Amino acid sequence: MTAGDPRPGLGPLAENSKLDVEAVLTDLADYRPARKGWTWRDVPADGLDLGPFHYRDMAAPLRRGIGLPAAKYFDGVDPQPSCVITSEIASGRFEDDLRRMRMAAWHGADHLMVIRTTGQSHIDGLMEGTPEGTGGVPITRKQIRASRKACDLIEDEVGRPINFHSYVSGVAGPEVAVLFAEEGVNGAHQDPQYNVLYRNINMYRSFVDAAEAKRVMAGAGIFQIDGAHNANATARAGWLVLPELMVQHGLNCAFSVAAGLPKELIGLSTVPPNAPPAPKLWFDLPYAVALRDVFADYKMRAQQNTRYIEADVEEAIRTHTIDTLISMLTSADIQSTITPDEGRNVPWHYNNVRAIQTVKQTWAALDGIKELVSLNLSGPLGEMARDIKERAVGFLAEIIDAGGYFAAVEAGFFVDSARFPERNGDGIARSGAGGVAADTIVPRDPDYYAPVCDHFGANTLPEGVAKACDSIGGCTLCDPDKIVYLDELDPQDTAEQRLAATRDYRSGHLLRPEAEWAGDGVALVQLMIPDRAELAREAALAMARRMGLTDPEVINLQVLQPAEGCFVEVKGKVGFDIDKRQLTIPTPVVLLPEDELRAAVKTHEITVVAGTVGEDEHSVGLREILDIKHGGIEKYGVRYRYLGTSVPLAKMVDAAIETGAQAILISTIISHNDVHRAMMTKLAELCTERGIRDRVVLIAGGTQVSRDMAAETGLDATFGRGTTGIQVVDAIVTSLRARGLIDG
Amino acid sequence: MTDEQTETVEQSGTAQRIARFEQRRRDDAALSDEALKDRFWELCDQLVEPIVELARTHTSPSIERSVLLRMGIDSRTTHGVVDAVHAAGLLGKGAGHVVLKVAERDGLPIRAAAAAIATDPTVLTGLFGGRR
Repeated sequence: MTAGDPRPGLGPLAENSKLDVEAVLTDLADYRPARKGWTWRDVPADGLDLGPFHYRDMAAPLRRGIGLPAAKYFDGVDPQPSCVITSEIASGRFEDDLRRMRMAAWHGADHLMVIRTTGQSHIDGLMEGTPEGTGGVPITRKQIRASRKACDLIEDEVGRPINFHSYVSGVAGPEVAVLFAEEGVNGAHQDPQYNVLYRNINMYRSFVDAAEAKRVMAGAGIFQIDGAHNANATARAGWLVLPELMVQHGLNCAFSVAAGLPKELIGLSTVPPNAPPAPKLWFDLPYAVALRDVFADYKMRAQQNTRYIEADVEEAIRTHTIDTLISMLTSADIQSTITPDEGRNVPWHYNNVRAIQTVKQTWAALDGIKELVSLNLSGPLGEMARDIKERAVGFLAEIIDAGGYFAAVEAGFFVDSARFPERNGDGIARSGAGGVAADTIVPRDPDYYAPVCDHFGANTLPEGVAKACDSIGGCTLCDPDKIVYLDELDPQDTAEQRLAATRDYRSGHLLRPEAEWAGDGVALVQLMIPDRAELAREAALAMARRMGLTDPEVINLQVLQPAEGCFVEVKGKVGFDIDKRQLTIPTPVVLLPEDELRAAVKTHEITVVAGTVGEDEHSVGLREILDIKHGGIEKYGVRYRYLGTSVPLAKMVDAAIETGAQAILISTIISHNDVHRAMMTKLAELCTERGIRDRVVLIAGGTQVSRDMAAETGLDATFGRGTTGIQVVDAIVTSLRARGLIDG
Repeated sequence: MTDEQTETVEQSGTAQRIARFEQRRRDDAALSDEALKDRFWELCDQLVEPIVELARTHTSPSIERSVLLRMGIDSRTTHGVVDAVHAAGLLGKGAGHVVLKVAERDGLPIRAAAAAIATDPTVLTGLFGGRR
């Protein structure tokens, strides 16, 4: 290990080992990011062959990852959408977020966005250390450096670059931009209009700062996302403010280009503004079409709608699926995901993953959709798109009539909930003389000089100085060794302290359920309460308390029918620990090699009799275990006699005696009154009565059957869902060998 | 003026705005999509031009602190320096410029010069030809 080693103290991550968060936080003073700048996915132009399929619009696969649940039916393929996928991760404790980032990356996120703690945009300067945040994370050098270090490890593990992202806004924009440039942050929100409208930061200060911040971002290749989408998240009727959204996007783009950002580093944050039960496509599609036409030179960061999502996770997922469809029908360079629980709590680990899966599943299903269907621009779609553009142009012209941008902000032009040119008079008006940090900009003197790189605006270099930072022998952007790393300012509120309190849950023997933070104990209970809503709510809380959950809270209630009942979700906390050392884990069954099984079957001419027993007509599962077509026991040379469905047990036993079969296979699906258990026990008893128990192997299977039922029913092996033929052959051969009936 | 009269005035203002927009829209009706798009960008550029000029010719405490950060000065010291430089009326010179001048005048490394300004703003006296 030498100084400047990009990963001091940490080797590659091991798939079955947790991320060592303490090690990530060690030796940060010397850590340098592995690379800088934004990275797009590697998308083969000719498409991609994966498993049995040809994909048309997919990126190179991950080295390590987890596919959709149904992937097991398709050779385990895990197609990765061509767009970058965003996951927003900010629980308030960044040290716990690092593990979530790894989970998100394994499912296909490569843009990890950290939301700032409440109020950071009004702090005039950088924060340092790792204090706990609220609704986000305090963005500091230590937090960024540790997070970037974790991202560097994770990207090596999954085999795809991770773009790390936060916000360059608020009154300390230029400083935050420099911090991000120095520390290898890859993407950032930067939009001076956002500061003015939503954070009430003085408009002149906001724009003067923004030009510097954007210039710094350009120098470090940091991808910029604007803040226009907040208008349709704020306005009462988001789908009416579309002309204004275009205006906000346009002003930030034009200003960014003037400040030196190349267009390929500028992204529009755009959200399909509507949600069902509204006829979403009639609003969202023309807007998406108009936007991609006018902003053809810029990148699209498609966000999912949050405006109308509250407690119902499934409703959010359905809307987000349609949002993703709109991205695919038009275009998206980045597809942002919103955790479906965002409307009801600070996002939980697994909901980040579910949001990513929504995009991955939709993208795979609709791969290459534009080769199959095209938008009909000659009909109402084209007319509606044109209408939005005309209104946007009219909006801009009216700003000029009003005396320019600042005058228009003072007059409350923006975030008015009516469709331009109508106006409801509920826009956000800001005064040029007011707001946070009012009256703080200063004219530059003729001899103004900033001896650093990536500086915007007037800069009078002294005579004989060719490059701005020559006079100081290089700035931090040229010589990273000049960066000053501050660790902690408040030793009482640090990541290390919080980690010490949760060590047993992360690297010790204890387990608790976890939603956001190690050891938080958060659990979710889903209940159907067969009564009216008012009662159901109270009953659910009482039930959760009786289950031992503390601080129970109803976070979702859906009426199924006003009198018949409700679906209720209650969150609460588990107050106990599980000690891993006291758990018994079933020993995994190791199957004999396939060749050895085939040889044993052939040598001993193994035959079986099989059928479904009881009043049971379900034969699909058994046929899959038997037939060669499904990889059943026939494939391994076992000959079988299939007796059909609803076969009496006595007939099964008779057939075994008659044919000299070495095994009897019964299938039983119906489990009412434990009929499956009864059948299994009776088979063993019958074989004992008939004197053949010691020479036949008895096996049962079914959807309600489990491996441990063999012992209690007196059979040799029992199998549940997902069993394959080879497991059954293995059980037959192993049992016969154990009894010395065959050699091996 | 009564409330009713105010409302009438506002309504007529709104009516005028809508009429102006409808007139513009009629004027632009013949524009191709491409020409309409060009018009959109012309107007955007026209609107940001004076703002870019404002940014080009002005600075702020945050910009100056960001310059100091790039000079290798820690975030806490940048506050002290910018506050002192601002108070001395020298922010228009550039805080980095001021630190550089002190460093050159007193033969100090950059960080030591910044620390000196943050600790004792009187070191700024006489800098830039006697101006405070």
